[in-house]
Amino acid sequence: MPKSQNINPKVVRKSQFIEFGKIPVNQYNKTIEEEKKIYSKEDFIRIYHDMVVIREFETMLNLIKTTNEYNGIKYNHPGPAHLSIGQEASAVGMAYTLGVDDYIFGSHRSHGEILAKGLSAIHRLDEDTLYSVMKKHFEGSALKVVENGFQGNIKDLAIKFLLYGALAEIFARENGFNKGLGGSMHAFFTPFGIYPNNAIVGGSGDISVGAALYKKINRKSGIVVCNIGDASMGCGPVWEGICFATMDQYKTLWDGEYRGGLPLIFNFMNNLYGMGGQTCGETMGFDILARVGAGINPESMHAERIDGYNPLAVIDAFKRKKQILKEKRGPVLLDTLTYRISGHSPSDASSYRSKEEIEAWQKEDSIIAFGKSLVLAGIAEQNQLNNISIETKDLLNQILKLSINDDISPRINLKKDPDCIGRMMFSNESVDRMENGTPEVLLPLEENPHVKSLKNKERFYKDKEGKPVSKAKLYQFRDAIFEAVIDRFYKDPTLAAWGEENRDWGGAFAVYRGLTEALPYHRLFNSPISEGAIVGTAIGYGMCGGRVIAEIMYCDFLGRSGDEVFNQLPKWQAMSGNIIKMPVVIRVSVGSKYGAQHSQDWSSLTAHIPGLKVVFPATPYDAKGLMNSALQGTDPVIFFESQRIYDTGEMFHTDGVPQDYYEIPFGEPDIKRSGDDITILSIGATLYPVIKVADLLKEKYGLSAEVIDARSLVPFNYEPVIQSIKKTGRIILTSDASSRGSFLKEMAQTITELAFDYLDAPPVVVGSRNWITPAYEMEEYFFPQPDWILDAIHQKIMPLEGHQIKTDYSNKKSIELNKEGI
Amino acid sequence: MATAVIMPKQGQSVETCIITKWFRNKGEKVSVGDILFSYETDKASFDLESPVEGILLDVYFGDGSEVPVLVNVAVIGKSGETTESFNPDNRNTDTAYKAPMAPEAVKAVPAIKAAEGKYSSTFLPAADNKIRISPRAKRIAHEKGLNYNNLSGSGPNGRIIARDIEKGLSGDAAITKSMQTTVPEYTEQPLSNMRKLIAKAMYTSLHNSAQLTHHMSADVRSLLEARQKIKNKLTTDKSQQDITLNDMVCWCLIKALGKFPEANSHFLEDRIKTFNKVHLGLAVDTTRGLMVPALINAGDMDLAKLSKELKSIADACKKGNINPELIQSTSATFTVSNLGNYGVEMFTPVINLPQVAILGVCTIINRPANIGNNIFGFVPYIGLSLTYDHRAIDGGPATLFLKEIKEQIEAFRY
Repeated sequence: MPKSQNINPKVVRKSQFIEFGKIPVNQYNKTIEEEKKIYSKEDFIRIYHDMVVIREFETMLNLIKTTNEYNGIKYNHPGPAHLSIGQEASAVGMAYTLGVDDYIFGSHRSHGEILAKGLSAIHRLDEDTLYSVMKKHFEGSALKVVENGFQGNIKDLAIKFLLYGALAEIFARENGFNKGLGGSMHAFFTPFGIYPNNAIVGGSGDISVGAALYKKINRKSGIVVCNIGDASMGCGPVWEGICFATMDQYKTLWDGEYRGGLPLIFNFMNNLYGMGGQTCGETMGFDILARVGAGINPESMHAERIDGYNPLAVIDAFKRKKQILKEKRGPVLLDTLTYRISGHSPSDASSYRSKEEIEAWQKEDSIIAFGKSLVLAGIAEQNQLNNISIETKDLLNQILKLSINDDISPRINLKKDPDCIGRMMFSNESVDRMENGTPEVLLPLEENPHVKSLKNKERFYKDKEGKPVSKAKLYQFRDAIFEAVIDRFYKDPTLAAWGEENRDWGGAFAVYRGLTEALPYHRLFNSPISEGAIVGTAIGYGMCGGRVIAEIMYCDFLGRSGDEVFNQLPKWQAMSGNIIKMPVVIRVSVGSKYGAQHSQDWSSLTAHIPGLKVVFPATPYDAKGLMNSALQGTDPVIFFESQRIYDTGEMFHTDGVPQDYYEIPFGEPDIKRSGDDITILSIGATLYPVIKVADLLKEKYGLSAEVIDARSLVPFNYEPVIQSIKKTGRIILTSDASSRGSFLKEMAQTITELAFDYLDAPPVVVGSRNWITPAYEMEEYFFPQPDWILDAIHQKIMPLEGHQIKTDYSNKKSIELNKEGI
Repeated sequence: MATAVIMPKQGQSVETCIITKWFRNKGEKVSVGDILFSYETDKASFDLESPVEGILLDVYFGDGSEVPVLVNVAVIGKSGETTESFNPDNRNTDTAYKAPMAPEAVKAVPAIKAAEGKYSSTFLPAADNKIRISPRAKRIAHEKGLNYNNLSGSGPNGRIIARDIEKGLSGDAAITKSMQTTVPEYTEQPLSNMRKLIAKAMYTSLHNSAQLTHHMSADVRSLLEARQKIKNKLTTDKSQQDITLNDMVCWCLIKALGKFPEANSHFLEDRIKTFNKVHLGLAVDTTRGLMVPALINAGDMDLAKLSKELKSIADACKKGNINPELIQSTSATFTVSNLGNYGVEMFTPVINLPQVAILGVCTIINRPANIGNNIFGFVPYIGLSLTYDHRAIDGGPATLFLKEIKEQIEAFRY
């Protein structure tokens, strides 16, 4: 809601019609004679060669999947192989014009795209660079294999390296591009500009937008191509990605050289089927996919349908579209029409399409047709073309033998090191800035109005006389996060932040107040209401090398970014074989007062997913220290903040919240109050009711409680908790999460294992009820209250003398509620 | 009439705002929409525009002041108008300045159950009488060697928890008991076969004989001296055999039986069977109940052998692999029952019929005694309780027999 742009009712209420421009469909009509002016003979042959390599590579996989054999070499590959036989011209045409700095993202069906982009990059890179790329990759382990006994030039060696790296990856071998941890649907190789393929349909739809943002915000050369299938047009993340990529603000609000559209092509590899669903005629309504562009923006996304069965038509289109991107008029939507002769997967019985249909497309086979046209035009002899096939088969024979040999291409040794994949989930680095350079800011830090106002705030909740400081004078939880965030914005030039209402509004909860004044648009901007894409773009930005803070305004909206948070963000570091880093912090605000869809603590969901670091500070001191750690790290962090306590001052760290930079290490719980009789472990804002409980236990029952604030969920050091239990023998755990499946239960179970002999009662969990969150006025019946905790102690741990029970925590009640599912 | 400029309430939770900067001065003319001052809450900054046209007659708070919301900040009016009534200082500060507070919610949630006594009935021990004990309580009990079987638990479902153990250890177990408002009145269990046998034998014994008991004490200084010697040897040489006080008492008893064979007899209604050899019965407590195995030919053994064999038969009973013939009451010619370890000072052991007597061995008590030259000192005495069947033995010989045992003990030399 920038004040600089007024919405004039006179204009928007005017009567008019929307005019759609024409969207070209298969308009390429050049003859091969005409194209001879552009392409050399070698170029033509190379295009043919690359298509043949892809065809043979996938034919080999198809034979292995269906017959366990290729050219007499036996092998069983139980994993996936989603083949794109028939789509080679689209892949090679797409990659042909791309430089090494241009990034491609893919889908589950992207072997062809990987190989095409790899071959294109090998063609472009000089021999020294190529050799050094191969030498550096996992200390040259794959290079050693292909180099052994190889005689030929470096380019041919690199092709062998590419094919071996890809196949070894598909077969889950350690010499694969990603140590065999990505596999068929996730293989990628960043030195050649090949970024992750994605086994979730449309998964690249928003991640690639983040990569384009990375290029734009950090002024990097190159474009981004998002290769996704036609059926992914039905996926939320793709729509959200398209919306995110076409926001007006790039062209209206971003300043100077940053103004203009994103360098991004959504390249829909339209093979007309989504698994077995016919997108044109059955499962979608666009008729011709390119039409969708017309609905997105006035430029219709420069959409076009092109003939993906003719490599020259695809190259022609990419050349033209790249020019549009160069002029900052992107992004572009391409509908690259192609056909998959092979099944969705080798188990596909093709029950959804007729034999006649397949045969009709086989008759127009892109490789045969292109070969014929080369022979007809006198560019190549048939013999020469036949030789390419023979040489390719021979090469793949060698590659297959190398890839399936357990001595040459072993898998990572999980017997020797059972936790090695676990350790690859996180990179655990400490990095001030992801790139050197001067961060772009609009004014010196000390002139920032929020920074200035913080100078006069009290950084402890009581003043020198011991009186509570008024809210207006108090340095609050929100200020602590702000301080850590703005500090990093002035340190790390790559840091960018986005989310809903992040800019002029100052964040829905005033955490970012003062950032708008400090930062140009390209470092802080408002996103569409697209939680999927808010996180998805952050993932793309992070994996390319930028640091980013994305915000989910209410924890309840995490579901909207489910795939991104659960399936993408946590996994890419390990799935890359630790090649990429993921310095992405997702701020998630946990609500209250606003009922069932705005008041849920879902921290447990994120803690369940391997690969995320999850923290939930409850005090300003912890919030600043943990945010500093999050922004110093290189791992994905889900940073929960409770809206209940944004205006809370520091009540525990008696020196107040330091002005200077400090870090609090992840995973270390903090003893907020010492005691001997019972341990209370709290996650998040329940710390405050727990302090009340501790006071009540002391006053009414003479018991001293040790209060531990978990601060982190993942990682978590149990030792201080166990130490505490050795002393007290009793523990009660509480948080605002609904108790069923809460992370507290995980903690309770782990504690039982680790401290069984020291426990005087089972660890008891007091969470929120397993209902919808009711209105604010009824919240005391839903969220854990001090009384509940006392009741649970009395009924499950140790009867308290004279205690009157208000809430039933008996076993009978527990069984009843579970039977009823509540 | 002049117009007050109040500090607006920006949001539900805002109680005060800080004036960051005044843009107009007192006495200046202002128009509608002129920015008078800027102010901030904890979340955001705002500008306050003049609501009316006029002269800024009075300003009550300067830059940097923290002002409660809805309080007059300034007043605008015509030149010369009185502003006295607008000055927030002229109001009752108690009411004017008090930030609106939510009334303290009075929650009268009725108790779910009227708890009886200190703890509600939720915590009654479960009916199955199974001992429930927390791992922590169990660990402490083991560490401190406390038998928790008889403790009542004060935890949920009658679970014995750490505090019950602590109270048990401090001898304050009564308190532990009292923490339960109700305990079951009784439990019922059918008799085990072992129990039935013991019941029958004991009842028959008391019913069918004429038992009485004499008590006497013996100076055990020499026994204790011997015991010390044995212990000392044990510390230097583990292969040495341990010989207990009970072994020594039995040894002395056997010697006394040699002099009073009528006590080494079976009373068989119409005759008395007096044995030439001593087969010594030994009362042994086992988890299944009392057992009295016989050590055959105990009188033929030297002290070391006797000690070894007594231990061997006692262990066999505890393990449950004793030869059944040995626990027939007819196998032994005389029985010893030792309750000294438990601190029993005197008791009336029940004769194992058809034997004619039984010796109860009691605890050692220090008593004042003449230790020579009319000097009195404390001397350790062991209590001896001899029950005999008057049908078989008269009081005189029984007393002499008991005295003989005493003398054997006092004369013991190792």
